[in-house]
Amino acid sequence: MKRYELIVIGAGPAGLSAAIEAASHGMPVIVFDENPRPGGQLFKQIHKFFGSKEHRAKERGFRIGRQLLEEARRMGVEVMLQATVLGIYDGKEVSVMRDGQVEHFKANNIIIATGASEKMVPFSGWTLPGVIGAGAAQTMMNLHGLKPGNKVLMVGSGNVGVVVGYQLMQAGCKIEAVIDGAPRVGGYGVHAAKLARLGVPFYLSHTIKEAKGKICVEGATIVKVDSTWQAIPGSEKVLDVDTICIAVGLSPMSQLARTAHCDMENNAGKGGLVSICNEYGETSTPGVYAVGDVAGIEEASSAMIQGKIAGVAVSHSRGYLDTADFNNQVAQHQRSLKQLRQGMFGHREKGQNDPTQTEEGYPLSRTLLERGYLAEEELQNYPGVRFQKGQGVRPVVECTQNIPCNPCQDACKRGCITVSGKITNLPAVDEAVECTGCGMCVVSCPGQAIFLVDDTLAPGYSGVSIPYEFSPLPAEGSKGLALDRSGRVLGEVEVTTVKQSRVMDETAILTMKVPGDWSMKVRSFQPY
Amino acid sequence: MTQRMKRTRSQHDFVPLADDSLIICRCEEITQGEIRKAVYDGMSTMNEVKRYLRAGMGLCQGQTCSHLVQNIIAGELGVPPGEVETHLSRSPVRPIQMIELAQDGGEK
Repeated sequence: MKRYELIVIGAGPAGLSAAIEAASHGMPVIVFDENPRPGGQLFKQIHKFFGSKEHRAKERGFRIGRQLLEEARRMGVEVMLQATVLGIYDGKEVSVMRDGQVEHFKANNIIIATGASEKMVPFSGWTLPGVIGAGAAQTMMNLHGLKPGNKVLMVGSGNVGVVVGYQLMQAGCKIEAVIDGAPRVGGYGVHAAKLARLGVPFYLSHTIKEAKGKICVEGATIVKVDSTWQAIPGSEKVLDVDTICIAVGLSPMSQLARTAHCDMENNAGKGGLVSICNEYGETSTPGVYAVGDVAGIEEASSAMIQGKIAGVAVSHSRGYLDTADFNNQVAQHQRSLKQLRQGMFGHREKGQNDPTQTEEGYPLSRTLLERGYLAEEELQNYPGVRFQKGQGVRPVVECTQNIPCNPCQDACKRGCITVSGKITNLPAVDEAVECTGCGMCVVSCPGQAIFLVDDTLAPGYSGVSIPYEFSPLPAEGSKGLALDRSGRVLGEVEVTTVKQSRVMDETAILTMKVPGDWSMKVRSFQPY
Repeated sequence: MTQRMKRTRSQHDFVPLADDSLIICRCEEITQGEIRKAVYDGMSTMNEVKRYLRAGMGLCQGQTCSHLVQNIIAGELGVPPGEVETHLSRSPVRPIQMIELAQDGGEK
């Protein structure tokens, strides 16, 4: 039987980070993954991540995946694919099925990083073809290049729902609606706003009643629910859709932790049954760790840090790292993890009733929470919106919720944008700094919430620059429709410039020439 | 003994619901009504329902339906879902062919 210092189960962001960390201290490490490709969910994540530079913010998930694989290769981490771990036995032995054969391996430490699977919600017709998990839709689009359907109902307005919804639009599907049983949008407001300004309606306090169709989905009936989640008779709406995407949450795949006799807890905030872990991710079974979504549903960014902490801990426990270095590195990673868990969507606040203002005392936009977009009259409340009518080019930062994210402040070489104090604070625009209109702030924002507005473009006309991630890119000089934040069509406009460069990482900046009084209204473009 | 006590406690009569034909365990095609009825037949834990009906014994090994089954049992027993005893998790945690299992050399 082959022995290793460390066996990692799962080659996703958490597992790879743990393996890289341990290998960097000299440990012989093997990673098992049941999939034919490593990277877990990272290669499906075509959007830019939030956070700070150390969290690899404003980088797209799949690029982070490539970097992790490269690092793992450089560190000599052995990654065994299509290798399904069947169980963990006493003495830290694992059985692995590969090529139709069961092999056994032993290690001094085991890190479980098996991730999560999608939760489902049963309703009449939910077993019809066309009802799919949002994660499955993402796999089809972003890994296999398949369009899951044409007209989609997204069930669930959490980050998975709104992020995948936007990617479905990028793939050419039409999102007929996003619904959620809760009375407010569950995901980041900026993600919801990207959909709303494309004209996607949000139906909050709505649930799905039925998928229509005989052999596949031919429609969906949604119904309004009251505050006790009971359907209100007579409030049914029928939507013409061929696909129903379910994004109602994830559930940790913690079976292996249970085969290792780890103490478990049913923790709704963590998504279900998870092992009880200490601050290093170690379970009640000494030497067995659980990191990433299997230990509690969070984001890939925090999964990577959890992986690093466990990697540091096993290195220290086996003498590959001295105590001083161990303490230093753990402290550093835990600071970084704490940052990511701050804010109104953070760890502790999950399920918090109904916040009315940000930590700094700015009022939260009700329309953003209830309809998915900011109302124009709410804009002046925020420190990123300092634009005065008639001004020359300026950034308008429509960032209104406490999200741990700050790439915008490094984007402007002149220091126009600052996120002072906590990373969750709202970015503020310094009016005294002259804007060159370079647009680096626009493309740096993972939430696509920064726009450039110029009221001096031409007499009676303003320039509005927006981040644009649809293909094909409109040609300069072409015409199309200008839409406001709610997706309402304002009228025809001309695209004056389309900027794209390598540093923008596929996010183009599209500048439209709009009538002067639309400069604070136009936020989206629809080509003919 | 406490388990047996639980099983024999008096319950109100089983009342069919309009959506009882809803499939809950997709792999084994077990309906909501079957699971609800199982509770009235004396099953009160995930393991019991699993062995009684095969819910959660199919290809996905309960990855999709476990929490749905748990909620239904909890609803019938009138307890929070977290209090329903969850089913065991044993090797192999993924479906495996008998021939592969039979050829498992174990400790070599």
